Amino acid sequence: MTAEAPGTPAGPGTAAPPLPPRRPGGLRRAGALLAGIALAAAAVAVQSAAPGPGERGAPLTWTGTVGEEVAASRFTARVRAVYGARTVETADAAGTAGTATTSGIFVVVEAGATAHREPQRFGPPVLLAGDGRRYTATDKVDPSLTITHPYVQPGWWTEGVAVFDVPVSALTGSRIVLAPENGGFIGEAYPPEVEIDLGLDDAGTQRLIAAAKDVHRLEAGR
Amino acid sequence: MTSPSGGTRRRRAVAVPLTALVIAAALGTVAALGGFAEAPKESPRRLGPGGVVDQKLFLTRFLASRTVFQPGRYGGAGKRFLEIEIEVTNKGRRTEEVGSPGEKGLLYGKSLLRVTPALGEDSAPVSAILDEGVPSRQLHPGTTSTVVFRYELPRGLRPPEEVRLDVGTFDPSPESFTGADLGLVLETDGKAAGAPPKVAAQVVLPVERKGTGR
Repeated sequence: MTAEAPGTPAGPGTAAPPLPPRRPGGLRRAGALLAGIALAAAAVAVQSAAPGPGERGAPLTWTGTVGEEVAASRFTARVRAVYGARTVETADAAGTAGTATTSGIFVVVEAGATAHREPQRFGPPVLLAGDGRRYTATDKVDPSLTITHPYVQPGWWTEGVAVFDVPVSALTGSRIVLAPENGGFIGEAYPPEVEIDLGLDDAGTQRLIAAAKDVHRLEAGR
Repeated sequence: MTSPSGGTRRRRAVAVPLTALVIAAALGTVAALGGFAEAPKESPRRLGPGGVVDQKLFLTRFLASRTVFQPGRYGGAGKRFLEIEIEVTNKGRRTEEVGSPGEKGLLYGKSLLRVTPALGEDSAPVSAILDEGVPSRQLHPGTTSTVVFRYELPRGLRPPEEVRLDVGTFDPSPESFTGADLGLVLETDGKAAGAPPKVAAQVVLPVERKGTGR
């Protein structure tokens, strides 16, 4: 008590004046410490929710199943049918025919799409296998015969096919990924994409392989 | 301030220049011995026809090299080509393209770091998978494809007796600063920026002659 007296200015010599400023000070300090810890913890928590290096700028994916209309931000897509083929016979606009063969199997996906506001054009579709491997649509089929060729316009549905050349082991659990073409080297961040499950469980895969046509004909204007 | 004892002051005056001298000498020695660059590791393996190189993202078997004569249409002079045939298995997670070999190579092909003698300086080779009815340029994951690189030989020049390929390897997980997808990245010799790609193997393929169109 007496020790504190020299610190206080000359006034009422009671102990009350020095104590009240000190107690809120201690409380405030503890509160500030707690708030600091809370903020730091919140920052760490927010950091852990940040997208990883692989996720930054990654596409935003809308998912669905065969037959379902899946609406993404800029377009709506649907898959009507999926079938297998041993060979694909193509004829481009010039009438040059060729028969593409494969050591695996061709997967032909009949898909359709409509745009919401602006015309869209699809980049090469991807078949995402059950084990996460990504198979780009085959280049053995001229792109003018597939869904990557036409512009997808608002107001009506544009139909087309996507043809994949995959090993049989990639079929089970596979999905087709459709996305608008993404301007070359410096792509758009977070582009929309639609991922449609082809419904190939073990039995579905067996059915697809058993029903695979020997020759699938693709013609211009289809 | 009170003055410190003379002994400590003298010691300090000696210690600082001495340390500087030692550091300078050490750095000088390191620089004289070639700096901090990594010492070259084992020399590349030498392989012949049928040799297999594990390129980390791909497994490649070097099959053969041959000359091919293509008669000209409408009775023209025709052209001679030199073909290099390899078998590539994509061990990666996604479809990659064949690209073209050489120092200005692209995609898969750039892992064939150098082709000796220099071919295709005037015209880039045609690279394709030819054995499936319709030519393809895709290497799908988990599948093995026979890739042919075809160079047009200049008229009036003897085809080489053999071709040598310096084969590099791909970095399975390249460090990306921004998280952007870098595509196929070659492994380099050492960590320094601008280090040349690492040569994992040198493959020498004798050139078989077929259909001499001289």
